[in-house]
Amino acid sequence: MTTSLYWMHCGGCGGDTISFLNAESPDIIELFDIMDIELLWHPSLSNGSHLHHQALVDRMVSGEQSLDILCVEGAVIRGPSGTGMYDTFLGKPKKDLVANLAKRAQFVIAVGTCASFGGVAGVGEVEGTGLQFSKRQKGGFLGQDFLAAGGLPVINLPGCPCHPDVLLAMIMAIGSEKSIPLTKNNSPVEWYGMLVHQGCTRNEYHEYRVEEEGFGERGCLFFHLGCHGPLAYGPCNKTLWNKRNSKTRVGVPCFGCTQPDFPQPYPFFETRNIEGIPLELPDGIDRAHYMAYKGLAAAAAPQRLKQRKTIV
Amino acid sequence: MPQKKTVQLPMNRVEGDLEVRLDISDGMVTDAWCSGIMYRGFENILIGRGPLDGLVITPRICGICGTAHLMAAAQALEMISDVVVPPEAIRLRNLALMVEKIQSDMRHGFLFFTPDFVNPRYKDEPLFEEAVRRYTPFKGETVIQVIEHTKKIIEIIAIIGGQWPHSSYMVPGGVTAAPSSGELLQCRYLLKRFKDWYERRILGCSLERWFQVKSASDLDHWLEEEKSHRDSELGFYIRFARRIGLDKIGQGHGNFISFGLFESIRCAAATTGQATGDSRPAGFAQGDLILELNPENITEHVSHSWFTDQPGGQHPFDSDTRPYATGQESQKYSWAKAPRYNNLPAETGPLAEAIISGDPLVKSLLQRNGPNVMLRELARLIRSAELIAGMELCLMRTPEDAVFYQPPGPIPDGRGFGLLDATRGALSHWVIIEDGKIKRYQIITPTAWNASPRDANGTRGPCEEALIGTKVQDISNPVEVGHVIRSFDACLFCTVHVIDLS
Repeated sequence: MTTSLYWMHCGGCGGDTISFLNAESPDIIELFDIMDIELLWHPSLSNGSHLHHQALVDRMVSGEQSLDILCVEGAVIRGPSGTGMYDTFLGKPKKDLVANLAKRAQFVIAVGTCASFGGVAGVGEVEGTGLQFSKRQKGGFLGQDFLAAGGLPVINLPGCPCHPDVLLAMIMAIGSEKSIPLTKNNSPVEWYGMLVHQGCTRNEYHEYRVEEEGFGERGCLFFHLGCHGPLAYGPCNKTLWNKRNSKTRVGVPCFGCTQPDFPQPYPFFETRNIEGIPLELPDGIDRAHYMAYKGLAAAAAPQRLKQRKTIV
Repeated sequence: MPQKKTVQLPMNRVEGDLEVRLDISDGMVTDAWCSGIMYRGFENILIGRGPLDGLVITPRICGICGTAHLMAAAQALEMISDVVVPPEAIRLRNLALMVEKIQSDMRHGFLFFTPDFVNPRYKDEPLFEEAVRRYTPFKGETVIQVIEHTKKIIEIIAIIGGQWPHSSYMVPGGVTAAPSSGELLQCRYLLKRFKDWYERRILGCSLERWFQVKSASDLDHWLEEEKSHRDSELGFYIRFARRIGLDKIGQGHGNFISFGLFESIRCAAATTGQATGDSRPAGFAQGDLILELNPENITEHVSHSWFTDQPGGQHPFDSDTRPYATGQESQKYSWAKAPRYNNLPAETGPLAEAIISGDPLVKSLLQRNGPNVMLRELARLIRSAELIAGMELCLMRTPEDAVFYQPPGPIPDGRGFGLLDATRGALSHWVIIEDGKIKRYQIITPTAWNASPRDANGTRGPCEEALIGTKVQDISNPVEVGHVIRSFDACLFCTVHVIDLS
């Protein structure tokens, strides 16, 4: 059965699309072929005329053209003063089109952190918001009670950008009519039920609290360099980027870009701490126990780690 | 009374949001206004944040050129810190930037630009069927191969920087990690694989043969020389573009600006111990006159932009970003500012880069027909040849046991800038740090240069100027306008409002 898909760009950088082009196994062309996806429109890739596009939009809004999957990339821009005129389409606020199409779609996918939670656009003067969340607050643009015709709320696929394999998997799951269990942030458990920390090649350094204090060392980035790996949910160190690598593996701290409050209001590359212990501990951990455990772990650290002989 | 008809045309296959309004009389564009129609307020997001935060925030301005933003952000902080970056780190950065350019140039060329060749407007052209076979979105043979090979070469950035797009591995003083020798060998393999494809599919000849093409007549000869040259992507592009007259439209002002390319001279010097003649200098060109770049001469005008008025042009260290929406009524019509050099508009991108670096083929083609759409896109498609050669140079010496990071210490108060040529041309970041925080952060993107609105003198921006005189056969299908706009590789989605005054 053919699945129709319409892709919208709102307040974003296009990075989710560009990242999607990097998808492998299948790549995007194979995906559309295998899953029988009818790509109604993608602003970067489609070749139809403007008249064709306008007519398509009208038909979708009226319900004449069925819309199975609506992918939204970028935050919904509401500024200035709620008008949405910082981001327009044919002279009208783009947010109105988002609302009209969301009503018609069987599934609405928020591709990337901006569309999910507001992201970078959610901290500035443009009054950006996610489709169904504003940062950690449920509601967002469509309201917390919104359900797409298929029965699910907006499926959030955060990440700056969204990992291409995650988007591939969601489109395939919808096309195959699989159930999609969601986390409390309305993201698929399958991809967001694990921490970025899991699979990081620096895990042993973390375990024994051998810390990196400057760039380019062998050590854990959590204690001084602001790494969010133990806090942020996402598959970055399991499903590698570009099938190759991850930020933490090359000494770049995780910036927590899948988290609803990304980008954080305090400086990057620093860990806020209380007496040397990070203010934000790995998700769900008790401070007193953690301090005792890390004290013991540091004492138990083997020489090869203390001397940073084990490569990462 | 002239009959006036308004048509709204959303243009796809460009990056970002842009509307262009055109006056058309007797089937010819007589005036044009480019409006950036999305404001994201990046510069103001950065104010008050930690000095390093630009490294995380600014790459997210653009999904397709984040490496360039990251490098400009790092360079600005390095100027403030006065830290000397080790050559091995520069080499890795340059390598990543070159990969970013190559993938973007190929994707732009064959996913964004040449799909216009399958527009129904050209259905009676003898080469049309062949264009359809190559360029139809998602189905064309070239399209499929470009997607396959661009995502593969990007793995080099992932090896160096963890992921692409959006990593922050360039930091003041160098990069956060050096690849192992095994990883560098993999980079060499990835480059070799891409080079083989580029030679076979895009050029139809070896790089060595291609580099012998140094003039317009050399190019004509090259095209005739072998069937493989004519049937290559480059050969077919040239034949189709000439056939539909792309060498005769989209001239523009003839002013060009380039901030230089990937510090190739520094890269080459670091590799071989001597400077080579193929450096890409920063400069401003007006006709045959090429001037050395002086960053003091760069200003931004806001007379026609939706920002609070400032007199004339302001240097980026002095200018603020204060949105001031007036609606459509006033003379303001864009969220883009108007960058100017010596108070003149200037085009930027691969063509500008080639002109200012004295590329003999481009210079010769320029003498034959002046600036035009075909040449602008040609410069983009052949840039990869130079980039592949530059990347080979970067990978020639494996930096085992290399120093790749020189700690700069805490970033002191001060001001600095980072200038470089990103994929689409001249990119600059202007940063002021005060009391350990970002006090001001101004960014001038390549598309701000190209798609700028009018300035305080009323002078059009480069893309606006290039549209003047374009003949539009059918205003309900103004593909000619698309050719001109897309030849700038505008990083904006655009909507064209056509007003027919005839």
